Amino acid sequence: MYLFDLGKLPGQQSMLIFHVLARMGVEALVIVSPKNPLVSIGYFQDAGREIDLSFCRENGISFMKREIGGGGTYLDENQVFYQLIWKRSNPRFPVEMSQIFEELSFPACETYRKFGIEASFRQENDIVTRKGKKIAGEGGGDIGDCMVLVGGILLDFDYETMSKVLKVPDEKFRDKVYKSMEENLTTMKRELGDIPPREEVVQTLVREYEKVIGRFESVALDNRIVERMKTLEKKFTSDRFLFKKTRKVPKGIKIKGGVEIRYGIHKAKGGLIKTVEELEQEKIKEIGISGDFQFYPKDDLSTMEVELRKTEFDQGKINNKIEQFYEEHRIQAPGVMPEDFTKAIVQSESEGPE
Amino acid sequence: MEIEGYHFPDDLYYDKEHCWCRVEGNVVVTGTTDFAQKMAGEIVYVQLPLIGKSVTQGKPCAALESGKWVGRIYAVVSGKVVEVNEELEDTPDSINGGPYEQGWIFKIEPSNLEEDLKNLMQGDDLVQFIKSEIIRVAAEKK
Repeated sequence: MYLFDLGKLPGQQSMLIFHVLARMGVEALVIVSPKNPLVSIGYFQDAGREIDLSFCRENGISFMKREIGGGGTYLDENQVFYQLIWKRSNPRFPVEMSQIFEELSFPACETYRKFGIEASFRQENDIVTRKGKKIAGEGGGDIGDCMVLVGGILLDFDYETMSKVLKVPDEKFRDKVYKSMEENLTTMKRELGDIPPREEVVQTLVREYEKVIGRFESVALDNRIVERMKTLEKKFTSDRFLFKKTRKVPKGIKIKGGVEIRYGIHKAKGGLIKTVEELEQEKIKEIGISGDFQFYPKDDLSTMEVELRKTEFDQGKINNKIEQFYEEHRIQAPGVMPEDFTKAIVQSESEGPE
Repeated sequence: MEIEGYHFPDDLYYDKEHCWCRVEGNVVVTGTTDFAQKMAGEIVYVQLPLIGKSVTQGKPCAALESGKWVGRIYAVVSGKVVEVNEELEDTPDSINGGPYEQGWIFKIEPSNLEEDLKNLMQGDDLVQFIKSEIIRVAAEKK
């Protein structure tokens, strides 16, 4: 198996490389960071729905779609990506998805441990610290005759830019995403107080992968690979590929396994209701409700938000809670019934941001 | 038949990419097997082939995503896609719920059915293949 230790490559090339090697059937470990920032979206995502295209264009941030799974993410030089490519027929590698991620994440977990960060693999395909904070996300897929697993060691992370590159319904939602990422996502810098030297991290990562996979043969990029990257870049940045529609509208933004920010909107007779909710393990952790409807007593809207915390994200349970609240607090909301709030909260998936 | 907890209807044909097909008159209905859906876990997206697209036996022509993994769906026989299960775009996990029933993926008007079927498995060949796959999965878990 080959090792491509590529240092930093221009943004898109840092992600194109594994697509090219997989198409060529080259089994390898690639270690690379993007030289300039880049937004990468998953194969089933539509750039128009996921990315704030104007922000990216105004700030010179390129964007591309990858042929592997997962959600939209912001990449920059403070992330060290490991991209493992192997032939589907290679019996050395697992076939069960959960096994692939768990077994092949182990070297990344060990790398964090060598630097003093206790990290382990957790479904669904995140690497988390002992305190449960996500410190790496992974994605993978079948490309050509190969399988590919990609993950990134977070030396540092630009939370603010990440929250700005995503397409969101309003600033309230963006703020919620930012705060939730700050709370649930960590980095080597945050855990250690400083960023360790990149080269040391890379060497450790390679050593840990060698323990699992065997010795690598170091090689450099050749012209053939570079030329194929150029060709593929055209496809990956084409409107046809980037803006391919999927019928499933995004439900929200996943921060880590079990934590998600959702957006809801519903037009009731008495006005428009907007909600932003943070879900943790399928329960409402926090919710914000706004809109142009009337609600009396006014202060009770925020009390209702508090009452909804810890409620299971289930239409019936949410509706019961709101009905009960209406009754106990003698709520007067012309043209806005409890089920209108429930619809805004629960049916967010069919009425998400366009 | 049941092979160590995985269901494989006897009247279907199977390939080594874990896809199945059922001949229904002039068309062939295809999908992914119970074994494959269990290996994949909950399926969250399905990309269907375009109607009218020509497909070649053993070549990828559709995709699905489960647990941040994008897997390919292979054409079990060669021919032209004549119908797709559009409901899967809204409820892709129907494949998990019934891979041979509501989870069918697309239908092909075959161009070389007799020859293509010879490359597919049924009966003992299938049992042997699935058992070898199960052994591989079990070995990985150790």
